[in-house]
Amino acid sequence: MNAKALTDTQIVIRSLQARPLSTWVTVAMVATGVGLLLVLLGMRSAARDAFERGSGNTHLLVSADPSPLVAVLNGIFYANAPANPISWAKYQQIRGSFPWLWAIPTQQGDSYRGYPTMATSAEFLTKFEPIAGEPWQLAEGQLFERPFEIVLGAAAAKGSGLRLGQEIFLTHGSGASREGGDDHAGHVHLEFPFTVVGILEPTGSAHDRALFIDLESSWILHAFDRREREGLHGAIGPADLTDADRLITGILLRLPTRPGSDASAAMQQQFDTLRRDTSIVVAQPADQIRRLFAIVSNVDGLFIAMAAVVLVSSAVGVMLALYNSMAARTRQVAVLRVLGASQGRIFGMVVTESLMIGFLGAAAGIVVAMVGGIAAAAWLRSSLGLVIDPGLDVRETIIVLGGTVALSALAGVLPAWRAYHVPVAESLRPTA
Amino acid sequence: MAEPALDIRDLRFAHPGGRFRLEVPAYRLEAGEQALLAGGSGRGKSTLLSLIAGLREPESGSIDVAGVRMTALAGAARDRARGRAVGMIFQTFNLLHGFTAAENVMAGLMFGSMPAAEHPARAAALLASVGIAEIDAPVDRLSVGQQQRVAVARALAARPALVLADEPTASLDPDNAASAMDLIQRACREAGAALLCTSHDPSMRSRFARVDDVGAFARQDER
Repeated sequence: MNAKALTDTQIVIRSLQARPLSTWVTVAMVATGVGLLLVLLGMRSAARDAFERGSGNTHLLVSADPSPLVAVLNGIFYANAPANPISWAKYQQIRGSFPWLWAIPTQQGDSYRGYPTMATSAEFLTKFEPIAGEPWQLAEGQLFERPFEIVLGAAAAKGSGLRLGQEIFLTHGSGASREGGDDHAGHVHLEFPFTVVGILEPTGSAHDRALFIDLESSWILHAFDRREREGLHGAIGPADLTDADRLITGILLRLPTRPGSDASAAMQQQFDTLRRDTSIVVAQPADQIRRLFAIVSNVDGLFIAMAAVVLVSSAVGVMLALYNSMAARTRQVAVLRVLGASQGRIFGMVVTESLMIGFLGAAAGIVVAMVGGIAAAAWLRSSLGLVIDPGLDVRETIIVLGGTVALSALAGVLPAWRAYHVPVAESLRPTA
Repeated sequence: MAEPALDIRDLRFAHPGGRFRLEVPAYRLEAGEQALLAGGSGRGKSTLLSLIAGLREPESGSIDVAGVRMTALAGAARDRARGRAVGMIFQTFNLLHGFTAAENVMAGLMFGSMPAAEHPARAAALLASVGIAEIDAPVDRLSVGQQQRVAVARALAARPALVLADEPTASLDPDNAASAMDLIQRACREAGAALLCTSHDPSMRSRFARVDDVGAFARQDER
């Protein structure tokens, strides 16, 4: 014999087990609301952290994009290849206009299997820090030293499966192009193989998705294309480059700062000076990211409100399921009353039942949120290169869990009230 | 001298449906006594039992069960008193479905004063005394006769002074009705509980030394 006395909790659990479909559907509804809310809350802060972290130690970004925000999205987060070039002469002019700590030229436009290529100077990998205070680290190999050497970001290396020493061909364009065959993507620069010489450690920034080559290699690729179009065939070297070939799409700038400080007193002045040049746009990446989040925070709030509505409607679902089940359970309630259960105790049992549904749903929702967070993080990492922490904020999770359980208990009040008022004598009459 | 199991005085009750009125000037059942409350259907037998159990409120009068004035209690106190002093057996048993035989009997203990640790042993002993061996079987899998035995065991679980049996054999054939009544009367006798049984079946009269007709207490409402 099961040597345990019957308890109120066992009665509640049996009630839930007696109607499995209703129980699990309501648990699933609560889990959906909780999961959605936690994922949105988690993604909101994680995405903001990831974006803010991703601008690295750049003070200013110069580009020929239509707006500073687009410049940041393209130049730092690889949203698209910048469409408008900046001449090498302009770069030199800007570089010489102020004693920058560094001024790193960048050029985007090519790709490999959908991973964007960043053509740049060696300083990009030695002076620019993708995460402020955290310089690049090599996982394998070395940085590029000669033309047609390529260094892979961690996500690009992992996603492409490339290893040191392998030769690859870049594709013109930044879409999800593939080597050969795809007429809709850009053509493949089959004449110029690049050798993988290094793989970088993950940084948690969008740069992890990129491949890095030196500027001259990129210029040669495109000069070759130009010459082909002009009917000039054959080998090409640095000496064949013209000013029209030496184009870049962005400049990362950092001003001198005091030791231990990231701010520069000259920042605003230089920013204003560069803004006067109408041929370029200049952006303070951190500022643009804040603006971006100010724009999306309304949508963000809407999503969270929708998740909260889902949660409240799931509580209403719990209430309806329990309330309707009371019609079929009046006899059970009446029997318990005859056996000595007080109205208050019956009320407590029904509220406990509702509370259990809420707790089960919230617990399942937390699991859903954890799995969803991992999935969303994986998607953000592969599609945007954003590395976010999929873990849930403990404080937020506890608040959502407590709130859900409280909401469910509240949802149980009306069914409990119905059970409280079950007419005992009438409910015990034999049915036909 | 032991307290009477049931002592009713000047009880008045009007049925909410206006079908009849109950007026019981005095009714007493001694400890361990067994009585039949006879009368046709709809005459007020079940209503009187529900008044005794404290499931309905009388207009006036008093009902004492084992010395406890049920009519002076209200709410949870009356529920507790009912759980301790009154056992009930129903025509359709009213077992808790989805629960085992033992759990149904323990349900009759969980609102009383017996320590929870003693419930399993008490339930097992009671079920053995009524001939149920499959104490961990869900009641839904038991035969009708076995279900009735579980219902009897549950009614006696809290060692009540009074067992109220409301038409306990109405849905049984004569042979099963006889054996069911044998069981109920024997179990109550062994437990020392008084038994007040209602029935509209005239053949039941011979089983009881005391038979009262509900017609003596009920009259059709003129409204």
